[in-house]
Formats: sequence, C-alpha cells, structure tokens
Amino acid sequence: MASFASTGKIDIKRQTGFGFIAVACLVALYLPILVVLVFSFNNAMSIGASWQGFSLRWYVTLMKNQGFFDSAILSIVVAVAATVMSTILGTMAALATTRVKRWRGQGATMLIITSPLIVPEIVSAVSLLAFFSFIAQAFGISFGILKIVLAHTSFCIPFAYLPIKARLEGMDVTLENAAADLYADRWKTFRYVTLPLLLPGISSGAALAFIVSFDDFTITQLIAGPGETTLPLFIWSRIRNIVTPELNAMCTVLLLVSIAFIILSFVLTKKKQD
Amino acid sequence: MSNIASSQTAKGGSVSILSVLKDFGNFRAVNDVSIEIRPNEFFTLLGPSGCGKTTLLRMLAGFEAPTDGKILLDGSDISMLPPNRRPINTVFQNYALFPHMTVAENIGFGLKMLGKSAAEISATVKEMLRLVRLEDAGNRSVTQLSGGQQQRIALARALAPKPKLLLLDEPLSALDLKLRKSMQIELKRLQQETEITFIFVTHDQEEALTMSDRIAVMNGGKVLQIGSAHDIYEHPADRFVAGFIGETNFLEGELTASAGGAGTVNLRCGVTVEALTAKSVASSGSVTIVVRPEQLEMVDPGSPQSVDATVEQIVYFGTDRHVHARLGDGTALTIRQQNRPGMREGLAEGQKIGVAIPPRVAQILKD
Ligand SMILES: Nc1ncnc2c1ncn2[C@@H]1O[C@H](COP(=O)(O)OP(=O)(O)OP(=O)(O)O)[C@@H](O)[C@H]1O
Ligand SMILES: [Mg+2]
Repeated sequence: MASFASTGKIDIKRQTGFGFIAVACLVALYLPILVVLVFSFNNAMSIGASWQGFSLRWYVTLMKNQGFFDSAILSIVVAVAATVMSTILGTMAALATTRVKRWRGQGATMLIITSPLIVPEIVSAVSLLAFFSFIAQAFGISFGILKIVLAHTSFCIPFAYLPIKARLEGMDVTLENAAADLYADRWKTFRYVTLPLLLPGISSGAALAFIVSFDDFTITQLIAGPGETTLPLFIWSRIRNIVTPELNAMCTVLLLVSIAFIILSFVLTKKKQD
Repeated sequence: MSNIASSQTAKGGSVSILSVLKDFGNFRAVNDVSIEIRPNEFFTLLGPSGCGKTTLLRMLAGFEAPTDGKILLDGSDISMLPPNRRPINTVFQNYALFPHMTVAENIGFGLKMLGKSAAEISATVKEMLRLVRLEDAGNRSVTQLSGGQQQRIALARALAPKPKLLLLDEPLSALDLKLRKSMQIELKRLQQETEITFIFVTHDQEEALTMSDRIAVMNGGKVLQIGSAHDIYEHPADRFVAGFIGETNFLEGELTASAGGAGTVNLRCGVTVEALTAKSVASSGSVTIVVRPEQLEMVDPGSPQSVDATVEQIVYFGTDRHVHARLGDGTALTIRQQNRPGMREGLAEGQKIGVAIPPRVAQILKD
C-alpha cells in the first residue's frame, strides 16, 4: 500500500480526501476571521457593505474612540490582575498536587480545580451573579471592578494550573533532592531549583490565563456593573448601535492581542523543554 | 546552622548505623542493619538489585526516616535531621546536575546555600574543578558535557562543601567499561586526597573488591557480612556471600574432626581435605565447603589426594583460563589457571584430569 511510508507509519498526506478535508476545515475556521480582518480596511460606511477600496479610516476612528481605550485599559487591568492571582494560586495548587505524599482527596481536589473547564460558562456566570448580589445584600459590600477580577481569577486557575502541573510532573524530583542534600531548605530549593525550572510552565500558564480573561464575555456580561465595560462588552454594545467597519478594526486588535499571547505561550513552553 | 558542614578542619566522619529498620507498608526493605563505619574509610554496600542499598543510603542522606533504629554521625544522632541539616552529600546515580546552571554554579551551589562569600565560593569551585581535572569547564552549561564529565561535576559538587560523609549510589553504572575503570581509580584518589568518608553503593562485586577498605554484603534487606575485600573473598560467612563474590565451587561432605580453626572433611566425591572453619561451625555433621577456582590444582588423573574429573569446557580469558569439569558424582567444578607459555598443549574437552584441593585453603561454611 502506497500510504505506508518506510517507517511503517501512515503518511496522512497521502490519504484520499486529506487535501479536501484540510482545506474545508481551514476555510470554515479561518475564513470568517479573515473576512473580519480584511473588511476592517474597507472604505465603506457600513459593515455589510461590499468592498469599496482600502482605507485605514476605521483604525483612525478607533484611535479617537475614548470608549474603546477605556474599555481596553479596563480589560488589561482585569486580565493582568486575574493572571497574577490565578498563576500564583495555580502554581501553589500544582505543587500541592504533585510534590507531596499522596493524600486523601487529591483526585477530588484536581477535579475541583479544573471544574471551570467543565461547568457551562453560563452556569458559572449565573452563580457568580447570585453570589455577588447575595454578598451585596447581606453585607452591603459592593466589590466594583474587584468582583470581575475575582470571577476571572476563578475560571483562569485551571488554565494556569494545567501547564504548570504538566511541567512539574515532567521534572525530575532528584533535582530537588539534590538541592536539599546541598543544604537548601525548602524555600531555597523552591527559589533556586524548582521555580527556575518551572518558569516555562508558569509563563505559558500565565499567558493562557491572560487571554482567557481578556476575551471573556459571558461571565463579565452578567456580573459587570454600570460603567464596568471591558473590551468584549464594549464591542458587544457597539453591535447594537450603528455598525461600521470600526467594529472589524476592534475585533482585529483583539485578535492580534490573543494571537500574540498564544504565540508567547507556545514559545515559552517550547523553550527549555530539556 | 553553625555546627553543620562548616568545620573546615573536620575530615571524614564516623558513622554508626544502629539496628536500622525500614518498612514500606508491610514490606521490610532494610532489616535490622547495624554497621560501624570508620572516619576516612572507603566503605562499600554490595548486594543484588532490590536488597535495600539505596534505601539505606537515602536514610543516611535524610530522604527517608528509619522505621526504627538510629543513625549517628560522629556520635550524635542525625536520624531525625532533614537532608539540608546533615553534613552529608550525595552523588546521585543520574547525577542530578541542575540543568539551568553552569558547571561553576552547580559546584558552588552547596556553599552558596551555606551562605559562604562569593570569593570563597569561587576559590573552592576552582579547587574542585582542578581536583576533578576539568579546570576549563567552569562556564559551560552542564547539558553540554559528556557522561563522564557530568559524573566528575556531580562529584565536585558533592565534595565542594567538604562534607563529613559522601554517599555514592552506583555512580559508575551509567559509564562504559573503560571510563568506569578510570573513574574507579579517580574516585579512590579523590577519597584519599580529600580524606572524606565514602559510602559507595554497587552491585558489581569486582568494583567493590578493587576499591573498598571494607565491604558490607547485603541481601534481602540484611547485612550478611562486613569485612575487607580479602576477608569476604577468602572467608565468606555463608553460602550467599561465597556465591555472590567471585566464582566459587561448593562441595558437600561430612566434617569428622575440627580443632584450631581447621577441620577434616570427607567430601562426598571421595577425597578428604583439611579445610578452614569459620567461627561458629558445629564440630561434626554434614557441611559445605567453598573453594575458589584458582585454589584448585589440576593433576594427573589418579594422583593421590585427588579426584577424577572430565573436562567439559575450556574458556579462555586472556590472562587466565577457566576449565569447567565434572566429577564422577555429577558435581560441576571450575578451575582457574594462569596462562603461562606452553600451557595450551595437553588439555582438551572430554579429557580425564585429576583435581586436587590443597590443605587449608577451602572454607567450611555454616549450614
Ligand atoms: N518508596 C518505596 N515504596 C515501596 N517500596 C520501596 C520504596 N523504595 C524502595 N522500595 C522497595 O525496597 C526494596 C529495596 O529497594 P532499594 O532501592 O533500596 O534496592 P537497591 O538495593 O538499591 O536495588 P538496586 O540495585 O536495584 O538499585 C525494593 O524491593 C523496592 O521495591
Ligand atoms: Mg539502588
């Protein structure tokens, strides 16, 4: 059979239909995004208009849009805060589920930590909404933007936790034994051996947490108070007004930020895998 | 931490392992081990895979706590101290060098953790690099080094804080034969130069015999015999030790008389030999004697005080040859002969020979 290469493994590129399916998938996944990107340069007044020539006018409009900047800054502030908190918590959780004697409830703990990946987002959103309004009513405390940060932190934890845990599991414990053998106490062992070797895992976990927070719509939409408009919420609000290609420009900017972080995460994971 | 690993003058420490037990669940990995190790000794733990050598070493280093018993270093109980509070360093089997540090940073790590000054660290690192003969490697990344070089860096790193005791867990097993031989010599030299007590783990009996001041032979979590290489080879305490160390012939017989450390044994194959007795052998009854292949002599068949045998196989080793022969009653024997000019003639497979056991070389084992 021609499809078997000399290694005995199947050469997927020679399978019938591979080319067609690959192209179909690429088109389905990326064509809409490509359209958004291309039409952000359309010199037209409305988002549904046909191509009327290349123009940077909508980016210029966007640069003058104070609402866009305010919401982008809020998104970045929230994402940075949620990333820092979820990465610290994720690192601690990863250490507690890999660098200890097996303990009762370890499996359950792992399940709970990663549950935001499984629980439908709308359910988390409703429960967080209920939670914060309960607190507000019972104690009269309104967290303001802090509640967005807390909510984001909670669903960012698994994204930070999983790469860090994977890295820890791949790391040789005798290195930590060696550090202890060479007079490092627990803190110094962590500081000089575990942490530096864990850094690629931590950075990629943090990058993932950042984009997950930066992109979040459902949860933020439900719990955000008036004036607490993150970038996705701002874009959403614009759709309901007059829709111009400025929206495309915003989405393109958002997309570029996400891609930048994905690439960063990828590069950091690849680096120093030895 | 002032009393730990800071004393520049102290060389090798003495170690007392007192009735140490280690249970994993209901499996006893180390069973009532007691060993006294002298200062500046090259002490080897020798035994087959799974006999508890690593577990014992991990208890000395502090990675495992004994289930029962005590470990003393220079007379003080260290059993409950964590690894970082023990003036003991380890050379790990897989070296465990820190991949994110340079060679110099690896070697200096222990001193840095002890809070030594940068000047002192860099001086010691230099000294250590010279000691392991890798003077120019300081700035290299440890991942670029060959296996043998990594081995030396691991040694240098463990020696740099000048521990009282160095633990080495099969440090040479990952090296090829030639490198292993040269590292054996190197290790011995390092031990003599640094005057640090070494506890060396191996399952290679030849390595143990050539390097050690004393050896503890272990099996199934127990220490079977402690002694010099000569003691253990010439006077094995029991059948396991005799069989584990070097090649050995076992012969069955009846002990008829014993006095003054020797006894007369009527061997089942027909000859009577005078053999050496270990301490606690009964004065009569059925016994096993152990005789080394090089102690047997090949004589003409039918010679007095010899037993007839048939040559089954001759294996040539360069410096010597092993003649595998079988006695009339089916017992297999191995005879080792040094190769001398002209010796090749006159011996063929299937040939009848006589085998003589010289008096007072064979050893009577307690059964
Ligand atoms: N953490 C552990 N939990 C359970 N059993 C263990 C543990 N560590 C060691 N053992 C068991 O204890 C016994 C002794 O192990 P140890 O590693 O000390 O042997 P060893 O003499 O070093 O063998 P090798 O020459 O193969 O390294 C083995 O049967 C092993 O399975
Ligand atoms: Mg071992």
